[in-house]
Amino acid sequence: MKKRLIALLLAGTMALSMAACGSNDNTGSSAPSGSGGDVQQSQQGGSTPEGASPEVTAPPVEVTGFGEAPMLADQVSAGTLPKVEDRLPVEDDVFVDQVDAAGNALEIGTYGGVINLAGAGGSWGLSRPVLESIIRYNTDGTYYANVIKSFDHNDDYTVWTFKLREGMKWSDGDDFNADDITFWYYMCHLTNYDTKKSWACLKETVNDEDAWAVLEKVDDYTVTWTFVNPKFPADFIENGDFKWCWAPSHYLIDLIPDSIYVENPYWEKTGLDDETVLKNAQAKGIDAATVNDLGKAVAYYWWNEDGIPCLNSYTLSTKEGNNSRDAQLCILERNPYFWKVDAQGQQLPYCDEIHFNATSEDGQDQLMFRSGELDVLEVGMQDIASLLSDLGDKAQLRSFASTNWGSYLITFNYTCKEENYANLFSNSDFRQAISICVDREQVSGLLSEGFLEPGQCAPAEGNFGYDAEWEKKWTEYDVDKAKSLLEGCGLVMGSDGFYDFADGTDFVLTIYTYTDSGADQAYPVLEQYYNKAGIKCATKDIEVSAFDQEIDNNDWYAVLGPHTAIGGLSMRSRVQPFVPIAQSAEWYGDYGTYYGTNGAQGVAPEGDMAKLVEIYEKWNSTPDSAERDQYNLDIYNIHKENLWTIAYLKAAGSYCLINSNVKNYPELLVSDDLYQYQNIVHYWTLFKAE
Amino acid sequence: MEEKNVPKKTPMKAVGDFFKKDLVQYIVKRLLMFIPTLLLISVLVFFVIQLPPGDYVSAHIAALASEGEFVDADYAASLRADYGLDLPVYQQYFKWIKDIIWTPTDSTYYRLYGSHHNWKYSFAYGRDVWDVVNDRLGLTILVTAIIMIFQYAVSLPIAVYASTHQYSVGDYISSIIGFLGAAIPNFILAIVLMYLSYKWTGNANVGLFSQEMLQNGVHLYNFGEFLKRMIIPIIVIGTSGTCGIIRSVRAQMLDEVARQYTLTARAKGVPERTIIMKYCFRAAINPTVSGLGGVLSSLFSGSTVTAMVLNMQIQGPVLFKALQAQDMYLAGAIVMVQAVLVVIGVLFSDIALAFLDPRIRYSGGGR
Repeated sequence: MKKRLIALLLAGTMALSMAACGSNDNTGSSAPSGSGGDVQQSQQGGSTPEGASPEVTAPPVEVTGFGEAPMLADQVSAGTLPKVEDRLPVEDDVFVDQVDAAGNALEIGTYGGVINLAGAGGSWGLSRPVLESIIRYNTDGTYYANVIKSFDHNDDYTVWTFKLREGMKWSDGDDFNADDITFWYYMCHLTNYDTKKSWACLKETVNDEDAWAVLEKVDDYTVTWTFVNPKFPADFIENGDFKWCWAPSHYLIDLIPDSIYVENPYWEKTGLDDETVLKNAQAKGIDAATVNDLGKAVAYYWWNEDGIPCLNSYTLSTKEGNNSRDAQLCILERNPYFWKVDAQGQQLPYCDEIHFNATSEDGQDQLMFRSGELDVLEVGMQDIASLLSDLGDKAQLRSFASTNWGSYLITFNYTCKEENYANLFSNSDFRQAISICVDREQVSGLLSEGFLEPGQCAPAEGNFGYDAEWEKKWTEYDVDKAKSLLEGCGLVMGSDGFYDFADGTDFVLTIYTYTDSGADQAYPVLEQYYNKAGIKCATKDIEVSAFDQEIDNNDWYAVLGPHTAIGGLSMRSRVQPFVPIAQSAEWYGDYGTYYGTNGAQGVAPEGDMAKLVEIYEKWNSTPDSAERDQYNLDIYNIHKENLWTIAYLKAAGSYCLINSNVKNYPELLVSDDLYQYQNIVHYWTLFKAE
Repeated sequence: MEEKNVPKKTPMKAVGDFFKKDLVQYIVKRLLMFIPTLLLISVLVFFVIQLPPGDYVSAHIAALASEGEFVDADYAASLRADYGLDLPVYQQYFKWIKDIIWTPTDSTYYRLYGSHHNWKYSFAYGRDVWDVVNDRLGLTILVTAIIMIFQYAVSLPIAVYASTHQYSVGDYISSIIGFLGAAIPNFILAIVLMYLSYKWTGNANVGLFSQEMLQNGVHLYNFGEFLKRMIIPIIVIGTSGTCGIIRSVRAQMLDEVARQYTLTARAKGVPERTIIMKYCFRAAINPTVSGLGGVLSSLFSGSTVTAMVLNMQIQGPVLFKALQAQDMYLAGAIVMVQAVLVVIGVLFSDIALAFLDPRIRYSGGGR
């Protein structure tokens, strides 16, 4: 029963998710679809270049007035807060939120209450539910202007124009305008104050040297980004890094030291030395040992510091004890200046607060959910049936389709320092042998209680680039054929029943796993199959940071459960998982280092690995969506041909249980970095029924 | 026979004499020994924490990768340079220990924080190390003190009862409870009790504070709720310690009541209560008192594993997180403070032993 339930959910989720991903071009601005009434507000809907209706589009609505939460109305009455009309952008620029990310109409909610979540977790934890980014994606891959009112470009893609929402305000009530964009770019980003190397989406190569976009303020609500060469959407507005381009200049100005200043036409030196800046930060309750620490805290992970104005639906509480993501109870409070309203003009969000309840064990989350202390619980598939059975109609299941390319993946070091290993791994017959020597049906039963079906490292059904043939490639169980393939690779059976290299040296497949990845549990199962095929194995299970270091040092042979796996939604989401252009993923190892360091380090790729980069460069330099998708598919075909990573089972989705009184939580979503994971839930539209 | 016939001046007089002659000298000697001991501990602490491969930056980058953020090698190198992690370990150590002992007045740290003791910056928490430690210190001491008082208040009377009523029903019951308490791992008991709490009350009582307390603090009106939430930690952490104390004190007591001096006292007509409480009990708790050396340290850190299972926001989980994240300055600070407290605790327990047992001497060998 449990297995059938999960299978049905998975099938449904996959079928509905991202059917149209990649089908739209998104180079146009997200034009407001006006109501035709007294008020024309920005509407949510996917953008297309030809002006065709996107798949996820809300019908126009007429909003004739604005409502607000009772707690804010009380403050207005008390004279401590401006009227709602004065807190929102001008009427034409207010964002009307009518549909969820899957295109379903939102229920009009009621104000009040708290959404209780489990602990915030890592650096991004507090931002996931509430971060407002430049554009926002729907589950079908279309996107629309979000914080900015619109984006547009000239004919040759050298000038991009961002229009802002007039009258929009920071969470402390200060105006949000073009100065906050120029401040972010020239004072925070180009200075590396945010401690990230400046984003590639704002960079280009001119005369063989790095050059940066020129940002110009046209007026208070318009800025332009100018490049020498065409800057196509994939490398600009759609670039996964480019989530925000603003910072509250009025708050951060006394936190910028002269030591990092970069000459620019908009901002002068502040006249502050490093120590003064650190003192100023201390006065604002921000603890930092160095200017770099400070910059990272206030200009990159700014949502983790209380008091920093933001544009999100909720802001971090300033109350001592509840104002840190490390606190046992971390509180996000409604932003009284939030710039979105529902279809009836009620200012969002509906709920007063979001609470993050830190726990130290998974079991605690479950107990707290059972006792009603949590409203949303991320849950493993093995726990779903028992929880639903115990809780009855008090809880509902929500599914997130996975964009991963399979489960239980093994990948090899193609740039291994030992040449005989590198040559062997590069031989596709070896990888085929590794793939077919494992009985996937049995592995499914042993490792996933039969939940996950046998599969290959390939896009899952419903995802961009899905290919049924690819999904089944090299999945038959055939030990004899595997042995024959291994012998074809030059391996020779030794007297101990295991294969050796042709020169008589031992062949031992040392497989790395990192602790808590789950791969350490899979190894003993897979080892039996490898041994049966004549492959002698060893394992090394290490802590994740040490694991990453060994990968970076190119000091490894094979990895089970790679830390940065191949695959994902599509190249639109992230390029690194598909193309060896950075020092990040195991499957391309030092080939990636080569491109990541402009050839200074690493190994220059050849053959199909080099071809991936060639196609990527074409993909990156075309504005045509269909052409880009075709290049993406070309890259996929190379992956299909080579299968640099072998998967044994299909990918697992992720699941949440929600309290039944939480409304507007979409039923079927997609979990991916492009959507910022939980961000796709749109927490500002959730409300709690009586 | 009357009690007055018993030579009762001996123990206290000996201790009094001892205090006059030897104690000051002993304490000074021990205090001087602190310096090399703590320096040696600091070296061990710093190097042991650094033993696992990787460092904070690699742990941080791994954590970012898990969240979908990719970091390139240049950025990693710049982070290492910022935090001084690119220096040889011995240089990192000397810088660390030097700044803890004395940070000069003309340093940025002193000007910012007004302290001569720079415990450095916690990478994982993004704050001054001492602030992170201080955050949970009060609660840790409160919780651990309550649990300790519970342990001793419960275990000592039971141990005395069990030893004076050997093989009685009460003795068997206390033995069974003792064995069970010692045999069941704390974390399992914690999980079982939380589940039972959920089943019986609808609330698992995870953590020491309700949401309301976490927002508004603990006051008189919600103190009852706080005590209710203390029940599971007290049972879990308290019983394991209680069981150990019961078993050891009972065994010591049985030894003492069978000794010659006890028989002599009994023969001289000394009341049984006096024999037990004044002589046997004092001798029997020697091992327990000598174990008090670790009390200060555990007051500071709390019980790590159990605290995590029970979601208690005390010091232990901070140390765990620091070690996981390879936040060496935070982990080093916590372990160093624990080491200092152990050293001080051992000194106190040694002095306490002198009150209890006149045979113990600190100089000149045994007499």
